[in-house]
Amino acid sequence: MMQCGWPLMGPLRWLHYLNKEVTVRAGKGEEHRGWLLSVDPVSASVVLVSFGEAVVVRVVMGHAVEAVEVLRAAADDETAKSLRSVFLPPPSPCLDPKELRQRRDAVRRWLQENRIPVEEEGEELKVAGVLTIAAPYSAHDCRSSNQIILDRIQRLIGIQDCTNQGLPL
Amino acid sequence: MATPVPVLRLPKGPDPNSRGFDPNSPRFIALCRTSISSSAASDTNSEQLQKEQDARSVLREGFLRCLLSMTNKKVQFQMYENVKVEATFGASDIDVLNFQVSDLHTPIGVQKEALIRCQDVISFTFDV
Repeated sequence: MMQCGWPLMGPLRWLHYLNKEVTVRAGKGEEHRGWLLSVDPVSASVVLVSFGEAVVVRVVMGHAVEAVEVLRAAADDETAKSLRSVFLPPPSPCLDPKELRQRRDAVRRWLQENRIPVEEEGEELKVAGVLTIAAPYSAHDCRSSNQIILDRIQRLIGIQDCTNQGLPL
Repeated sequence: MATPVPVLRLPKGPDPNSRGFDPNSPRFIALCRTSISSSAASDTNSEQLQKEQDARSVLREGFLRCLLSMTNKKVQFQMYENVKVEATFGASDIDVLNFQVSDLHTPIGVQKEALIRCQDVISFTFDV
């Protein structure tokens, strides 16, 4: 049982609590039970998840943690699998290669119409040399280290998606 | 003689290298008393530091994914003095000191946009 030195324990010790079922005592007599998904190294906040009718996540702020006690050191296979997938985005539906190519061409043409330099790099699109768009070429599939370009390209693709679906912009 | 023009000295911008995590930066000292720094390089050997940094990135990534999945969802905040409020989560700042929320339901009405101080929050919960 750990005392309220929780924020001072450090990342290496917090790592030991990962994917274990714990009880966290916090604030004024609150007690929360769940599987520990992560501990924020900046604020020592504890991310707990519990699986019931719904998947409920509770985050206990680091400054409020009084004690963390391990209930179960290991999860069964099904729980371990659920833990891994809690925050992952839902798997995108698989498009066949022909549809993917059509989609890629449509996105490329749209970017070129908007005077944005884009090249095909294998299955991906390379925009202005700094942004990559992977299949299935939606706004969520854009990757770049430049936040400004990322935002602009995401908006642009978003406009195309809205137009295609007949949604208001 | 030309009129002297007052010189505007603009405030120094943020340090481009540390993004606010530098414990010696004025911003950190002013705002982030509760934020936790990594161990000083002199305290630990380099292998230990490397392990600590690896652990930090794994843990921080997990936490950031949690914040990401919270965006635009209804979140219930449990605060001190037995205050419970519900709001739609918008964003957090880098040091997890403030949360930007919309439609904050308070005992005295609904606030369209608000900033919640993380120091006032004990815990918060949402459905994935």
